[in-house]
Amino acid sequence: MILLVDMDAFFASVEQAHHPHLRGQPVIVCGDPGRRGVVTAASYEARPYGVHAGMRLAEARRLCPQAHYVEGNPEKYVALSLQLLDLYSTLTPDVEPFSVDEAFVGLGPRVTLARAEEIAHELQRTIAQRFGLGASIGAGPNKLIAKMAAGLQKPRGITALDEEGFCRAFWPREVREMWGVGPKLAVRMRSLGIMTVGDLAHAPEPLLQEAFGIVGPQLREAAWGRDDTPLVPYHRGVDAKSMGHEVTLPEDCSEAAYLEGMLLRLCDQVARRLRSEGFVGRIVTVKIRDRRFETTLRQRALPEHTADCATVFHHARALWREHWKGDEMRLLGVSVSGLERRAAADQQELFSPDQRLRRLERALDGVRDRLGEASVVPAASLTHRGRLGHVPFGAVPGRPARGAGKPAS
Amino acid sequence: MFESLSDPVDVLTAFVDGRMQPLRFRWKGRVVRVRKVSGQWVRREGSALLRYFSVEGGGAETYELCYDPRGPSWVLSRAWTGAK
Repeated sequence: MILLVDMDAFFASVEQAHHPHLRGQPVIVCGDPGRRGVVTAASYEARPYGVHAGMRLAEARRLCPQAHYVEGNPEKYVALSLQLLDLYSTLTPDVEPFSVDEAFVGLGPRVTLARAEEIAHELQRTIAQRFGLGASIGAGPNKLIAKMAAGLQKPRGITALDEEGFCRAFWPREVREMWGVGPKLAVRMRSLGIMTVGDLAHAPEPLLQEAFGIVGPQLREAAWGRDDTPLVPYHRGVDAKSMGHEVTLPEDCSEAAYLEGMLLRLCDQVARRLRSEGFVGRIVTVKIRDRRFETTLRQRALPEHTADCATVFHHARALWREHWKGDEMRLLGVSVSGLERRAAADQQELFSPDQRLRRLERALDGVRDRLGEASVVPAASLTHRGRLGHVPFGAVPGRPARGAGKPAS
Repeated sequence: MFESLSDPVDVLTAFVDGRMQPLRFRWKGRVVRVRKVSGQWVRREGSALLRYFSVEGGGAETYELCYDPRGPSWVLSRAWTGAK
């Protein structure tokens, strides 16, 4: 049996747990509430007003002006997420984080569904007592059923289903409720007459194969509640597939120097993260979103793997210059994928003409390891200073100087 | 509303079962008694591990205290006192 523990409105609930005056109130977690941006999380009290994650902050303010707008603290949420994983690990070593607020907990094949439901109740109570947080938990014989069951009763719900129960619960529901069926796939399925999960379960396999390729028959199996995806405990670790950073600008901007400075800053953060986690990558992707909220992704494969800021920036800037038409921008992002462990790529480095650059990079990494991320940054990335209030995830805000209590410059 | 601060503060601290626990602190000339530690987490800054505590004061007010082992020093990083 497997449990999927899904924390209810996690970020907003953490703020409510830490600040009693927010309990029972609509809470919206965002970037700097004094600037524009998007909703990161909305408490259950805010949701009846139509506010949801990803919505523009201006729209949220129009729908729910009385809400408390709280600046999110990603490091706090990640730290609490790790504390929750520690709690699950007291039950079993088979714990697989699925996202910052969800985790699979493997209970083993000998545990019955009824016992899994009891364990879910105990776990839910412990989370409430120890962290003051709510969780919805799904229990089932595999990850698919546990995950979909967790979504049936929220907040603070517990749903345990076997394969039969899964079919009874989900077959009458719309096909878009299947895990793995996104909005576009749902539209294509509906065009084939597959309206419900039950329709998908009974659709002819050749039809699904022809329409959706290998995914079609897999989704048909899933519609019967069948799934043999293994649970991968996090202590064994799974290598990241990509690493990236993005930032919503404090105001729409079409100033080339400022935007390229921001791009350099993002490349620096991504490259630094690659190096500190021992990866190199060879596909650079740039994400841009304009003031009309139109989003473009462009990517380029590099001849060699890299974790070097200058190389990532060189290609990211080339992509940016090819695709930016001078419009006002709202968001910029950079990511690197096609990752490999650095050891494999070190062979190439022996023949690299840029040995001095590598040594410089190692020395600068040493300074950052000791003094923090903001201690050394590329000078050309400072074009944002004075304009950007929001510190993106991964960057470090100024800390008080030792003994002086004033922020370090 | 929440105030973002970087105010150095003196904190009376207990160590219980190997855990650090702030008991009271002095801020703006008054002593705030910590009624409850509602959350704690850590953040790495370079080689230093900063310890954060979300605490409730005597009334409805809440604070975030940060212990920086490099001082060692305490900083009040955020406060909600109900004042507009």
